[in-house]
Amino acid sequence: MASSSEIQTHDLLDAVTARIQNGDGADDYRERSESPPELSALVGTIQALHQALTPVEPRPEFVESLRADLIAGRPGVVARVQRMPRRISLAAALALVAGCLLIFLRRLFDSEPPPEIQEEAVATPL
Amino acid sequence: MKNFFSRRVNHEELDDRELVALAKEDAEAFGELYARYVKKMYSYVYHRTGNSQDAEDLTAKVFSRAYAHIGKYVERGVPVQAWLYRIAHNLVANWHRDQSRRKIIALDDYVARSLQTEAPERLAEDQEERDQLLAAVRRLPEDRQQLLLLKFIEQLPNAEIGEIMGRTEGAIKSLYHRTLLALREDMQRGPEAIQQRRLDGTEV
Repeated sequence: MASSSEIQTHDLLDAVTARIQNGDGADDYRERSESPPELSALVGTIQALHQALTPVEPRPEFVESLRADLIAGRPGVVARVQRMPRRISLAAALALVAGCLLIFLRRLFDSEPPPEIQEEAVATPL
Repeated sequence: MKNFFSRRVNHEELDDRELVALAKEDAEAFGELYARYVKKMYSYVYHRTGNSQDAEDLTAKVFSRAYAHIGKYVERGVPVQAWLYRIAHNLVANWHRDQSRRKIIALDDYVARSLQTEAPERLAEDQEERDQLLAAVRRLPEDRQQLLLLKFIEQLPNAEIGEIMGRTEGAIKSLYHRTLLALREDMQRGPEAIQQRRLDGTEV
Protein backbone atom coordinates (compact mmCIF):
# COMPACT_ATOMS: atom_id res chain seq x y z
CA MET A 1 0.00 0.00 0.00
CA ALA A 2 1.56 3.30 -1.10
CA SER A 3 1.66 6.21 1.35
CA SER A 4 0.02 9.53 0.49
CA SER A 5 3.42 11.15 -0.17
CA GLU A 6 4.32 8.30 -2.51
CA ILE A 7 1.03 8.71 -4.36
CA GLN A 8 1.74 12.42 -4.62
CA THR A 9 5.17 11.68 -6.11
CA HIS A 10 3.64 9.20 -8.58
CA ASP A 11 1.11 11.80 -9.72
CA LEU A 12 3.81 14.43 -9.98
CA LEU A 13 5.98 12.17 -12.15
CA ASP A 14 2.99 11.46 -14.32
CA ALA A 15 2.26 15.15 -14.77
CA VAL A 16 5.91 15.94 -15.53
CA THR A 17 6.06 13.13 -18.10
CA ALA A 18 2.91 14.39 -19.82
CA ARG A 19 4.30 17.92 -19.99
CA ILE A 20 7.60 16.76 -21.47
CA GLN A 21 5.78 14.61 -24.01
CA ASN A 22 3.65 17.60 -24.99
CA GLY A 23 6.80 19.63 -25.60
CA ASP A 24 6.37 21.86 -22.54
CA GLY A 25 9.22 22.37 -20.13
CA ALA A 26 9.27 20.85 -16.67
CA ASP A 27 11.54 23.39 -14.98
CA ASP A 28 8.76 24.85 -12.84
CA TYR A 29 8.24 21.44 -11.25
CA ARG A 30 11.92 21.26 -10.35
CA GLU A 31 11.77 24.59 -8.58
CA ARG A 32 8.64 23.96 -6.54
CA SER A 33 9.35 23.75 -2.84
CA GLU A 34 6.92 20.87 -2.27
CA SER A 35 8.60 18.72 -4.95
CA PRO A 36 10.55 15.78 -3.56
CA PRO A 37 14.34 16.21 -3.79
CA GLU A 38 14.72 13.26 -6.16
CA LEU A 39 12.36 14.86 -8.70
CA SER A 40 14.97 17.10 -10.24
CA ALA A 41 17.19 14.14 -11.19
CA LEU A 42 14.23 12.12 -12.37
CA VAL A 43 13.07 14.93 -14.65
CA GLY A 44 16.44 14.65 -16.42
CA THR A 45 15.90 10.91 -16.83
CA ILE A 46 12.39 11.46 -18.20
CA GLN A 47 13.70 14.03 -20.69
CA ALA A 48 16.45 11.65 -21.81
CA LEU A 49 13.94 8.81 -22.25
CA HIS A 50 11.64 11.08 -24.24
CA GLN A 51 14.48 11.88 -26.62
CA ALA A 52 15.84 8.34 -26.90
CA LEU A 53 12.66 6.31 -27.15
CA THR A 54 11.04 7.35 -30.40
CA PRO A 55 8.81 5.32 -32.76
CA VAL A 56 10.54 3.33 -35.48
CA GLU A 57 8.73 2.57 -38.73
CA PRO A 58 9.00 -0.73 -40.60
CA ARG A 59 10.08 -0.90 -44.24
CA PRO A 60 7.06 -0.33 -46.55
CA GLU A 61 8.02 -3.43 -48.57
CA PHE A 62 7.92 -5.53 -45.41
CA VAL A 63 4.50 -4.14 -44.44
CA GLU A 64 3.11 -4.83 -47.91
CA SER A 65 4.51 -8.32 -48.26
CA LEU A 66 3.37 -9.40 -44.80
CA ARG A 67 -0.12 -8.08 -45.51
CA ALA A 68 -0.20 -9.97 -48.79
CA ASP A 69 0.93 -13.17 -47.02
CA LEU A 70 -1.74 -12.81 -44.34
CA ILE A 71 -4.58 -11.91 -46.69
CA ALA A 72 -3.63 -14.59 -49.21
CA GLY A 73 -4.71 -17.19 -46.71
CA ARG A 74 -3.93 -18.66 -43.38
CA PRO A 75 -0.27 -19.67 -43.31
CA GLY A 76 0.47 -23.11 -44.69
CA VAL A 77 2.27 -25.89 -42.84
CA VAL A 78 5.67 -24.95 -44.23
CA ALA A 79 5.23 -21.27 -43.29
CA ARG A 80 4.09 -22.25 -39.81
CA VAL A 81 7.10 -24.50 -39.31
CA GLN A 82 9.39 -21.75 -40.57
CA ARG A 83 7.92 -19.30 -38.06
CA MET A 84 8.35 -21.66 -35.11
CA PRO A 85 11.33 -21.30 -32.76
CA ARG A 86 14.32 -23.15 -34.18
CA ARG A 87 14.38 -25.91 -31.55
CA ILE A 88 10.68 -26.65 -32.08
CA SER A 89 10.99 -26.77 -35.87
CA LEU A 90 14.04 -29.05 -35.44
CA ALA A 91 12.04 -31.35 -33.16
CA ALA A 92 9.14 -31.32 -35.66
CA ALA A 93 11.52 -32.19 -38.51
CA LEU A 94 13.08 -35.04 -36.51
CA ALA A 95 9.64 -36.40 -35.60
CA LEU A 96 8.63 -36.24 -39.27
CA VAL A 97 11.77 -38.09 -40.39
CA ALA A 98 11.35 -40.71 -37.64
CA GLY A 99 7.70 -41.21 -38.64
CA CYS A 100 8.56 -41.64 -42.32
CA LEU A 101 11.34 -44.08 -41.44
CA LEU A 102 8.98 -46.11 -39.26
CA ILE A 103 6.37 -46.32 -42.05
CA PHE A 104 9.06 -47.28 -44.58
CA LEU A 105 10.48 -50.04 -42.34
CA ARG A 106 7.04 -51.45 -41.57
CA ARG A 107 6.19 -51.60 -45.25
CA LEU A 108 9.55 -53.20 -46.02
CA PHE A 109 9.06 -56.03 -43.50
CA ASP A 110 5.34 -56.48 -44.22
CA SER A 111 5.77 -56.64 -48.03
CA GLU A 112 6.02 -60.48 -48.11
CA PRO A 113 2.95 -62.30 -46.72
CA PRO A 114 3.53 -64.55 -43.67
CA PRO A 115 4.49 -68.20 -44.47
CA GLU A 116 1.14 -69.76 -43.37
CA ILE A 117 -0.80 -67.55 -45.80
CA GLN A 118 1.59 -68.54 -48.61
CA GLU A 119 0.98 -72.25 -47.83
CA GLU A 120 -2.80 -71.73 -47.89
CA ALA A 121 -2.56 -70.04 -51.25
CA VAL A 122 -0.71 -73.03 -52.67
CA ALA A 123 -3.22 -75.52 -51.20
CA THR A 124 -6.30 -73.81 -52.67
CA PRO A 125 -7.57 -75.73 -55.77
CA LEU A 126 -7.97 -73.78 -58.98
CA MET B 1 -30.54 -12.47 -52.06
CA LYS B 2 -28.58 -11.33 -49.07
CA ASN B 3 -25.45 -10.81 -51.16
CA PHE B 4 -27.41 -8.95 -53.81
CA PHE B 5 -28.80 -6.41 -51.37
CA SER B 6 -25.88 -6.13 -48.97
CA ARG B 7 -23.57 -3.24 -49.71
CA ARG B 8 -19.81 -3.59 -49.71
CA VAL B 9 -18.38 -3.08 -46.20
CA ASN B 10 -15.94 -0.22 -45.81
CA HIS B 11 -13.59 -1.67 -43.21
CA GLU B 12 -11.93 1.66 -42.49
CA GLU B 13 -15.17 2.98 -41.01
CA LEU B 14 -15.51 0.14 -38.52
CA ASP B 15 -14.18 0.19 -34.99
CA ASP B 16 -11.84 -2.50 -33.67
CA ARG B 17 -14.59 -4.55 -32.08
CA GLU B 18 -16.58 -4.73 -35.31
CA LEU B 19 -13.46 -5.57 -37.26
CA VAL B 20 -12.57 -8.42 -34.92
CA ALA B 21 -16.06 -9.88 -35.32
CA LEU B 22 -15.74 -9.69 -39.11
CA ALA B 23 -12.13 -10.87 -39.19
CA LYS B 24 -13.20 -14.30 -37.98
CA GLU B 25 -14.62 -14.85 -41.49
CA ASP B 26 -13.24 -12.00 -43.57
CA ALA B 27 -9.53 -11.70 -44.40
CA GLU B 28 -9.94 -8.09 -45.51
CA ALA B 29 -11.22 -7.15 -42.06
CA PHE B 30 -8.11 -8.68 -40.54
CA GLY B 31 -6.12 -6.72 -43.12
CA GLU B 32 -7.60 -3.50 -41.75
CA LEU B 33 -6.67 -4.47 -38.18
CA TYR B 34 -3.20 -5.25 -39.46
CA ALA B 35 -2.95 -1.85 -41.14
CA ARG B 36 -3.96 -0.13 -37.89
CA TYR B 37 -1.46 -1.89 -35.66
CA VAL B 38 1.48 -3.11 -37.72
CA LYS B 39 3.59 0.01 -37.13
CA LYS B 40 2.92 -0.01 -33.40
CA MET B 41 3.80 -3.67 -33.08
CA TYR B 42 6.92 -3.28 -35.18
CA SER B 43 8.09 -0.27 -33.18
CA TYR B 44 7.50 -2.07 -29.90
CA VAL B 45 9.29 -5.24 -31.02
CA TYR B 46 12.11 -3.24 -32.59
CA HIS B 47 12.88 -1.44 -29.35
CA ARG B 48 12.73 -4.70 -27.41
CA THR B 49 15.08 -6.56 -29.78
CA GLY B 50 17.32 -3.77 -31.07
CA ASN B 51 17.53 -4.94 -34.67
CA SER B 52 15.26 -4.74 -37.70
CA GLN B 53 15.69 -8.34 -38.86
CA ASP B 54 14.36 -9.84 -35.65
CA ALA B 55 11.76 -7.09 -35.41
CA GLU B 56 10.37 -8.04 -38.82
CA ASP B 57 10.45 -11.73 -37.97
CA LEU B 58 8.66 -11.23 -34.66
CA THR B 59 6.14 -8.77 -36.12
CA ALA B 60 5.23 -11.42 -38.70
CA LYS B 61 4.80 -13.94 -35.89
CA VAL B 62 2.60 -11.55 -33.90
CA PHE B 63 0.15 -11.17 -36.77
CA SER B 64 0.31 -14.82 -37.83
CA ARG B 65 -0.53 -15.85 -34.30
CA ALA B 66 -3.27 -13.24 -34.00
CA TYR B 67 -4.77 -14.38 -37.32
CA ALA B 68 -4.62 -18.02 -36.29
CA HIS B 69 -6.40 -17.26 -32.99
CA ILE B 70 -8.79 -14.49 -34.01
CA GLY B 71 -11.61 -17.04 -34.22
CA LYS B 72 -11.25 -17.76 -30.51
CA TYR B 73 -10.75 -14.13 -29.46
CA VAL B 74 -13.42 -12.94 -27.08
CA GLU B 75 -13.17 -9.40 -25.77
CA ARG B 76 -13.33 -9.73 -22.01
CA GLY B 77 -12.23 -6.26 -21.03
CA VAL B 78 -9.07 -6.58 -23.12
CA PRO B 79 -9.21 -4.49 -26.31
CA VAL B 80 -7.60 -5.86 -29.44
CA GLN B 81 -4.63 -3.51 -29.09
CA ALA B 82 -3.88 -4.88 -25.63
CA TRP B 83 -4.29 -8.43 -26.94
CA LEU B 84 -1.75 -7.77 -29.73
CA TYR B 85 0.71 -6.22 -27.28
CA ARG B 86 0.41 -9.26 -25.05
CA ILE B 87 1.15 -11.56 -27.98
CA ALA B 88 4.14 -9.38 -28.89
CA HIS B 89 5.35 -9.33 -25.29
CA ASN B 90 5.21 -13.13 -25.02
CA LEU B 91 7.01 -13.63 -28.32
CA VAL B 92 9.71 -11.14 -27.35
CA ALA B 93 10.13 -12.87 -23.97
CA ASN B 94 10.65 -16.20 -25.76
CA TRP B 95 13.06 -14.54 -28.15
CA HIS B 96 15.09 -13.15 -25.24
CA ARG B 97 15.21 -16.58 -23.62
CA ASP B 98 16.56 -18.05 -26.85
CA GLN B 99 19.03 -15.17 -27.23
CA SER B 100 20.36 -15.50 -23.70
CA ARG B 101 21.18 -19.11 -24.47
CA ARG B 102 23.11 -17.95 -27.53
CA LYS B 103 24.65 -14.96 -25.68
CA ILE B 104 24.01 -12.45 -28.46
CA ILE B 105 23.24 -8.81 -27.77
CA ALA B 106 22.34 -6.91 -30.92
CA LEU B 107 22.51 -3.18 -30.46
CA ASP B 108 24.57 -2.46 -33.59
CA ASP B 109 21.59 -2.15 -35.88
CA TYR B 110 19.91 0.17 -33.43
CA VAL B 111 22.90 2.47 -33.43
CA ALA B 112 23.26 2.21 -37.21
CA ARG B 113 19.68 3.35 -37.75
CA SER B 114 20.15 6.29 -35.42
CA LEU B 115 23.25 7.25 -37.38
CA GLN B 116 21.21 7.42 -40.57
CA THR B 117 18.54 9.72 -39.20
CA GLU B 118 20.41 12.37 -37.25
CA ALA B 119 22.90 15.09 -38.09
CA PRO B 120 26.53 14.04 -37.52
CA GLU B 121 27.47 17.00 -35.29
CA ARG B 122 24.60 16.31 -32.92
CA LEU B 123 25.40 12.62 -32.92
CA ALA B 124 28.92 13.28 -31.72
CA GLU B 125 27.57 14.96 -28.60
CA ASP B 126 24.53 12.85 -27.81
CA GLN B 127 25.11 9.41 -29.20
CA GLU B 128 27.19 8.01 -26.40
CA GLU B 129 24.78 9.19 -23.73
CA ARG B 130 21.83 7.92 -25.69
CA ASP B 131 23.41 4.51 -26.22
CA GLN B 132 24.18 4.26 -22.53
CA LEU B 133 20.57 5.04 -21.70
CA LEU B 134 19.23 2.51 -24.20
CA ALA B 135 21.62 -0.11 -22.88
CA ALA B 136 20.42 0.67 -19.35
CA VAL B 137 16.80 0.35 -20.50
CA ARG B 138 17.62 -3.08 -21.95
CA ARG B 139 19.10 -4.17 -18.63
CA LEU B 140 15.80 -3.47 -16.85
CA PRO B 141 13.46 -6.35 -16.05
CA GLU B 142 11.04 -7.15 -18.88
CA ASP B 143 7.97 -5.56 -17.29
CA ARG B 144 9.82 -2.27 -16.77
CA GLN B 145 11.05 -2.20 -20.35
CA GLN B 146 7.52 -2.84 -21.53
CA LEU B 147 6.20 -0.02 -19.37
CA LEU B 148 8.73 2.50 -20.71
CA LEU B 149 8.06 1.58 -24.34
CA LEU B 150 4.31 1.82 -23.94
CA LYS B 151 4.63 5.13 -22.11
CA PHE B 152 7.21 6.86 -24.31
CA ILE B 153 6.82 5.31 -27.74
CA GLU B 154 3.13 4.59 -27.80
CA GLN B 155 2.36 7.39 -25.33
CA LEU B 156 -0.48 5.33 -23.90
CA PRO B 157 -2.27 6.49 -20.74
CA ASN B 158 -1.66 4.54 -17.53
CA ALA B 159 -5.10 2.90 -17.64
CA GLU B 160 -4.39 1.38 -21.05
CA ILE B 161 -0.89 0.32 -20.03
CA GLY B 162 -2.52 -1.36 -17.04
CA GLU B 163 -4.89 -3.27 -19.35
CA ILE B 164 -1.99 -4.52 -21.41
CA MET B 165 0.16 -5.47 -18.45
CA GLY B 166 -2.67 -6.81 -16.30
CA ARG B 167 -2.13 -4.28 -13.46
CA THR B 168 -4.04 -1.46 -11.88
CA GLU B 169 -3.40 2.17 -12.80
CA GLY B 170 -1.92 2.79 -9.36
CA ALA B 171 0.44 -0.15 -9.76
CA ILE B 172 1.59 1.23 -13.11
CA LYS B 173 2.36 4.64 -11.57
CA SER B 174 4.29 2.99 -8.77
CA LEU B 175 6.23 0.77 -11.18
CA TYR B 176 7.05 3.82 -13.29
CA HIS B 177 8.50 5.62 -10.27
CA ARG B 178 10.64 2.61 -9.30
CA THR B 179 11.74 2.17 -12.91
CA LEU B 180 12.96 5.76 -13.12
CA LEU B 181 14.87 5.39 -9.85
CA ALA B 182 16.49 2.15 -11.00
CA LEU B 183 17.40 3.66 -14.35
CA ARG B 184 18.97 6.71 -12.74
CA GLU B 185 20.95 4.51 -10.38
CA ASP B 186 22.13 2.34 -13.25
CA MET B 187 23.26 5.42 -15.19
CA GLN B 188 25.04 6.91 -12.19
CA ARG B 189 26.57 3.88 -10.53
CA GLY B 190 26.62 1.31 -13.32
CA PRO B 191 24.81 -1.99 -13.81
CA GLU B 192 26.95 -3.73 -11.16
CA ALA B 193 25.28 -1.69 -8.41
CA ILE B 194 21.83 -2.77 -9.60
CA GLN B 195 22.97 -6.37 -9.83
CA GLN B 196 24.31 -6.21 -6.28
CA ARG B 197 21.01 -4.75 -5.05
CA ARG B 198 19.14 -7.62 -6.73
CA LEU B 199 21.37 -10.11 -4.96
CA ASP B 200 20.87 -8.29 -1.66
CA GLY B 201 17.11 -8.17 -2.17
CA THR B 202 17.09 -4.36 -1.91
CA GLU B 203 16.26 -3.59 -5.53
CA VAL B 204 14.38 -0.32 -6.11
